[in-house]
Amino acid sequence: MSEPQARPEGIAGSSLRGPFAVGRYAAELRDFLRARTRVQLFGELWNLRVSRTKLYFELRDADGALPCSMWRNEFEALRLGEGALADGAQIVVSGGLDYYTGSKTSSPSFSFAVAALRIAGEGDLLAQLHRLRQALAAEGLFEPQKHLVRPALPRTIGVVTGEGGKARDDVLAGLHRRGWEGRVVWGFAPVQDRHAAPKITAALQDLAATGEVEVIVVARGGGSLADLFCFCDETLCRTVALLGVPVIASVGHHTDRTLIDDVAALSCSTPTHAAESAVPVHCGEARAALTGSARRLSVHAARALLHRAQVLARLSRAPGEHIAGERRRLHQRLREIRAAGRRRIENERERVGRRALVIDRRVRAEALDALHATRLQALAMALAAHDPDRTLERGYALVSDAGGDVVTSAAAARRAGAVSLRFSDAAVDATIRADDDDRA
Amino acid sequence: MTEPDEEQLSYEAATARLEQIIKRLDSGEAGLRETLELCREGRTLVELCAAELEAVGRGLEELRLEDLVARLEAGSGAQGA
Repeated sequence: MSEPQARPEGIAGSSLRGPFAVGRYAAELRDFLRARTRVQLFGELWNLRVSRTKLYFELRDADGALPCSMWRNEFEALRLGEGALADGAQIVVSGGLDYYTGSKTSSPSFSFAVAALRIAGEGDLLAQLHRLRQALAAEGLFEPQKHLVRPALPRTIGVVTGEGGKARDDVLAGLHRRGWEGRVVWGFAPVQDRHAAPKITAALQDLAATGEVEVIVVARGGGSLADLFCFCDETLCRTVALLGVPVIASVGHHTDRTLIDDVAALSCSTPTHAAESAVPVHCGEARAALTGSARRLSVHAARALLHRAQVLARLSRAPGEHIAGERRRLHQRLREIRAAGRRRIENERERVGRRALVIDRRVRAEALDALHATRLQALAMALAAHDPDRTLERGYALVSDAGGDVVTSAAAARRAGAVSLRFSDAAVDATIRADDDDRA
Repeated sequence: MTEPDEEQLSYEAATARLEQIIKRLDSGEAGLRETLELCREGRTLVELCAAELEAVGRGLEELRLEDLVARLEAGSGAQGA
């Protein structure tokens, strides 16, 4: 810093004192503020930043806010532990106003210099957020967006984001990754603090009202919960819940959870991811898959046509083949009938032969029997002719001696003396007399 | 077999039906007549999907919401005239 310049002339016509050198005025302002009464304040802690030597944060309530600072060693002496000073924490501080006058190379700043700090409880804003979340959930407003059908390949995507924010580039990068080159409709709106909510709501309603937008991405980069609080606005969240177009929210980092994340169809951790989720289909891969499907269809169609041609050819040959087949079957049948006829004749012949043989044998047997009978009869007649009884019947007599021996001569009869004469009907005894020898 | 309604069929419905058709054809269970009908239906679906992919492959178009609204109003005005 150069030496203070010589005091210039003041503004003509001004009745105010000065001009004074700013550094001197700043030092007097600091002294003035430091002389103010030291007090205790309470409110919610937001936007905590920790430097090498000091802590900086804002103390807020619904009516206003005050920047605060505290020496780091004094804070650490409190032994509150890490995470004690989360956004929204209700705290009580004691201290007084201070003013850092700055220098040539550093900016001046006003703050409430905190000498002591006490955690009082959960912040009102967080409690309010919690109550609103419960109320929306109880009304079932977390569900309607979840039931909307998100198109796999939207032609037009609406995006609500800050015009100069990095989220815009992230959304485009996500769409590029999907190979998607459709139409993006930008609904630019401020995306910081709670005053932005009505404009975000209007952008969403207008995008949906065009009837062209198939899905809407609401994107904002990271920030403190206070910065993102516009996305917890009740009207905005009710609007999103009842919107007919699916909304994909990507607000803040994955550690932040705003109400729009709850009511939206889908909540993503980054704008890039939200853009990718808006186009579930990877266009390049889809084109390749479609080409594959078309090729497979062609193969199946060609195969089917070839099969049809083969069937037709087979059908055209069928009548001739059918007749030839019938002819073959008839010839076969004829052969079988002839063979069967021959077999039957042979069998009949055999059977007749056997019968003839049987009859012949029977005839022969009967003839033999007759011959035997005739011969027997002749023999019987011959035998009868020789039967002595037959001779006796003709008047002859059989002479036998007392011993029964046949007496065949007169001499024998004389010798016997007594003989028996057997006639055909009976025998009589006779005595041979001596004079009988004379007659002889 | 029901014919797809090309007027209302979304890209995802078309691809799902196409996958069904390919699966059926790959199974080898479809008869000749059914195969030819499925191939015909499949080709229609391929054309539909290709048209959808073509619509998001012509180059990114960016426009502001107010420009789209103005364009739509101009379109509806021209139709009204």
